[in-house]
Amino acid sequence: MSRWLHAVPETDPGHRAAHTDALLLAALAPLAVESAFTHVDRTTVVSRLALTALVTGEAPTTVLGGRVVEAAGPPPDGRCIRFPGQDSLTGVHTAEAIVTGSAIDEVVGVGTAVSPDDLVDTQGFLRPTLTNGRLVLLVEPAAGGVLRPIESRDPHECCGGH
Amino acid sequence: MSHDHDHHHEPVEGSWRDGEDDRPLSVARRRFLAGLGIAVAGTAAPAGTAAAHEPDAPRRPVNPWGSRDRWYGGDHHIHTKYSPDGQYEVAQQVAKAREHGLDWVVITDHGGVAHQKFSVDLVAPDIEKARAEHRGTLVYQGLEWNIPGAEHATVFLPPGRSAVDILRAFEAAYDGGVLSAPVDRSGKGLIARATSADGEPYALAALRYLEAQVLSGRTEIALMFANHPARRGVDSPHEIRGWRDAAPGVAVGMEGAPGHQAAGLKSGRAGARGFYEASPNQDSFPGYAPTAAENPYRTYGGFDWMTAKVGGLWDSLLAEGRPWWVTATSDSHQNHLDTHTPGTGDHNSTGTRGAPVDTGKPQVYGDYWPGVYSSTLVGAGSRSYVDVMRGLRAGKVLAVHGRLVDGVDVRVRSDLDGRGVTTGGRTFVTRGRDVEVTIEVRLARRPNFGGEIPRLAKVDLIGGPVTGPVADRDTLSAPHTEVLKTFEVARTARGAIRFTHTFRNVENAFYLRLRGSDGNRLTSDGGPVMDVVGDADPWTDLWFYANPIFIDVV
Ligand SMILES: [Zn+2]
Ligand SMILES: [Zn+2]
Repeated sequence: MSRWLHAVPETDPGHRAAHTDALLLAALAPLAVESAFTHVDRTTVVSRLALTALVTGEAPTTVLGGRVVEAAGPPPDGRCIRFPGQDSLTGVHTAEAIVTGSAIDEVVGVGTAVSPDDLVDTQGFLRPTLTNGRLVLLVEPAAGGVLRPIESRDPHECCGGH
Repeated sequence: MSHDHDHHHEPVEGSWRDGEDDRPLSVARRRFLAGLGIAVAGTAAPAGTAAAHEPDAPRRPVNPWGSRDRWYGGDHHIHTKYSPDGQYEVAQQVAKAREHGLDWVVITDHGGVAHQKFSVDLVAPDIEKARAEHRGTLVYQGLEWNIPGAEHATVFLPPGRSAVDILRAFEAAYDGGVLSAPVDRSGKGLIARATSADGEPYALAALRYLEAQVLSGRTEIALMFANHPARRGVDSPHEIRGWRDAAPGVAVGMEGAPGHQAAGLKSGRAGARGFYEASPNQDSFPGYAPTAAENPYRTYGGFDWMTAKVGGLWDSLLAEGRPWWVTATSDSHQNHLDTHTPGTGDHNSTGTRGAPVDTGKPQVYGDYWPGVYSSTLVGAGSRSYVDVMRGLRAGKVLAVHGRLVDGVDVRVRSDLDGRGVTTGGRTFVTRGRDVEVTIEVRLARRPNFGGEIPRLAKVDLIGGPVTGPVADRDTLSAPHTEVLKTFEVARTARGAIRFTHTFRNVENAFYLRLRGSDGNRLTSDGGPVMDVVGDADPWTDLWFYANPIFIDVV
């Protein structure tokens, strides 16, 4: 039986996108994780990255130091770091293939329309966001006439991103 | 030299004359300025700043036309081997800036524990030496401050007996890196992260500290410009407003265009122009969200989204009547196709990476040498440290890419002010009378460092109503600001060109600003296009932005 768990890790997972996601997902092992979302918890002055995941298995009491509680579902504006079909989307795929082959509901271009045949270079890193209950992948024009997700695996950070 | 004169006289289409809205805007604005006036009372009301008048004081135009100002090109954001991610000697950066025509530079190595402990003192003699070797080039000592709770900022002072002491004390007490580093790593451990919101009060205290140094006479002037403001979304609108209000004589603007302009070259680093390739993190302001319409985390025509978007964040500040200026810098750390790599020193324990290593092989990097691509042109009475800073504080500032223009002189006149005012200024008009704008653009005469004489294709006159302070300090749009008029530049135009525009029957306070483009990459409404990550040639997408002029109605 799967259920939604929620935790606000005490350990700061950092800013580097792929690293952060990997750290959070690793913290959920050995649970089977069907979907996982992050969102920013702003209930305290110092905002924190919160984790909400749909899992099967024995729930841990804490994740990265944060107490685990049951949740009703994903956060309304969650950023998805694990979703069904994710593993097959590692290269260049058409927008249509992304929607039919994964939990992503829609591929939306920033300032540009996306047709089903348009190619998206996923670079093996996808973080669709939950928007009005739909999982939306935002993409932008990239070099070579393809599209790319707006989120990079490891964006350049001046000075280690002080 | 031939001169083509294009003359345009047209009545205003000004849409801000909203018949429904009969609020006395100038009163609201004066009340707002009076508020600022309290904050600056006693700052020896720096001549030439857009600082406030008392409501009942005689109306004195700010930045009057016809002073003997000249444009001085410079760069307020330059790194050296004293940054953990920089590599050059001060002497190299200054020599290159000079070679590329700059009159003034600010050395801004990253703040932090090691920089505060070692680098501030190490860089000072290098700067002294560069000043001695390059008389005629102004070399300021500055700091790239980690604004607690926010992005980076340039902070700098003119040379003076206390300049280094002030910088050192400022960094120790208020740098976000120092404040967030744990005590066992020689930091203060007072805030969670350099960018977390618990740092915000420290940023305000920091700016007040700098203003106090000016008030007490320890330094003649001190300035702060927010750097790459939208890059990570961590400069929220209320923080920007807070900085300006905390120290209106010090916190005066932001980079309209970030550095790292070579970073998007397909043949080079193939990253995002400006290294603007991030997405929101936990300290980002939630209002800066990428959507189908826009991505605040990218540059547009090489400029930061806050500046590039008409009716966006910058305009929302100007529409309050809040002086806030934009600049363009190199953020030079490692310059594209230069042959140097960093030295082998341990910055952490010594404050320097040591002398750079010349490999003899061109390296792929994301930056340009100072002066190669980005310039901040400042109108100043003389090439002196304090005058150039006064020009910056007064907003007599143009942000120019690829030497698209050699100068832009804007003059705004009214029935009450026949002499008129220029960029960064403020003037007055009797309600119902006309305001005349004259724009003289000096077109580029020489090739830029991309190898071509850039051709200006158009100049946009942008403006909107001044409606006074916003209730919501996180306001980030000015819905009534728009492009009012576009002046096409004839293909054959050479030398100086002139445009004029008359606003008839002006009823309400408003502001104006200009931008110009080479016309190569435009949206359907004539704006800049979002830069493509991995394929952004900065030389084929040139813009300039001129700072605003405010017009009050009396
Ligand atoms: Zn840096
Ligand atoms: Zn920098």
